Amino acid sequence: MNSWLAERKRRMNEIMIGIIAIVATVAIYLLILPIHKKIQSPFTQPIVAVSAIIILFLFLLDIPYETYMIGGQWIEFLMGPAVVALALPLYKHYDMLKEYVKPILVGVTIGAFVGVTTGLFMAKALGFDREVILAIVPKSVTTPVAISIGETLGGSLSLTAVFVVIAGVSGSIISPLIFKLFKLQGPLGRGIGMGSASHAIGTAASMDRNALEGSVSSIAMIISAIIVSFFAPLFVLLFL
Amino acid sequence: MTGVLRIITHIFFLYALLLIGNVLQEIFHLFIPGSVIGMILLFLLLKLGIMKLKWLEEGTSLLLRHLTLFFIPVTIGFMEYLELFKGRGLLLLIITVISTALVMGVGGAVSEQLARRKETQNE
Repeated sequence: MNSWLAERKRRMNEIMIGIIAIVATVAIYLLILPIHKKIQSPFTQPIVAVSAIIILFLFLLDIPYETYMIGGQWIEFLMGPAVVALALPLYKHYDMLKEYVKPILVGVTIGAFVGVTTGLFMAKALGFDREVILAIVPKSVTTPVAISIGETLGGSLSLTAVFVVIAGVSGSIISPLIFKLFKLQGPLGRGIGMGSASHAIGTAASMDRNALEGSVSSIAMIISAIIVSFFAPLFVLLFL
Repeated sequence: MTGVLRIITHIFFLYALLLIGNVLQEIFHLFIPGSVIGMILLFLLLKLGIMKLKWLEEGTSLLLRHLTLFFIPVTIGFMEYLELFKGRGLLLLIITVISTALVMGVGGAVSEQLARRKETQNE
């Protein structure tokens, strides 16, 4: 009888924790959105700011990630459908895409190749573990796709997500410098660079700068996701 | 209320495409993620006119507008890996930034060169 009660209490607790985690995440996210609109710093981007705030909370309250994920998994659940949703910008920008199909495809393919190989070879040369190398390989593509690629490669999914975030945030921060260094002047080149290197986080930063650059970036992010999901397993098979 | 229901229906439809993508991946042992297969399917359905944009625009736009939100839980997983970036692990951070810079610079420069060549040809 007592164990039944204890089990019931544990279940109720889990449901409560889950609801709190979901509500808190969405609330902090909605709070950060207008702040980012005003300040426009790479550090106020929701992916950076919201995650940092929640991590801080979890550390202060000594709550393990696993407990947070009782609720967090329900938000994560929407990642897959969100990737399917990316067909929409692809469809809407199809005419522009067709017009510049060669520059876009060649640029994104070379970008994807550079991303997969430089990550793989640098990490291998420095003698890092296989698990770490597998997590670095898909870093240039949007998280849900990187996670799916990570599953295919057999790497750690959380670790994969960590490198994706680093690629996204660092890319957004260094983009003005890279544009200058590589003399990227038009929205096409800039958008291709941002989407290929820094996926959705870079696309958001591009959108803030210039709508056309943002659209190109979202196209590049989608094409890059497809190409990297071919390249990543191939190069891992060949060189790891 | 009907608006909310419509959005939920749209999201369920996207989810159904995700499941179809997953099934196709398993049957044919594809290494492309099921979500990307679902995305390509949806693109084809729209392009071939089998699906109308307005049948799923609201839910889809909502997901796209808040794309970042869905990455947050998995990003928070970072907290379990903080140790990794101490000491020698800092090199991993440097590798990632260098590789990202190269992708952005090289990919962007190639596109821009090719586009410029195309434009001068057109003139």
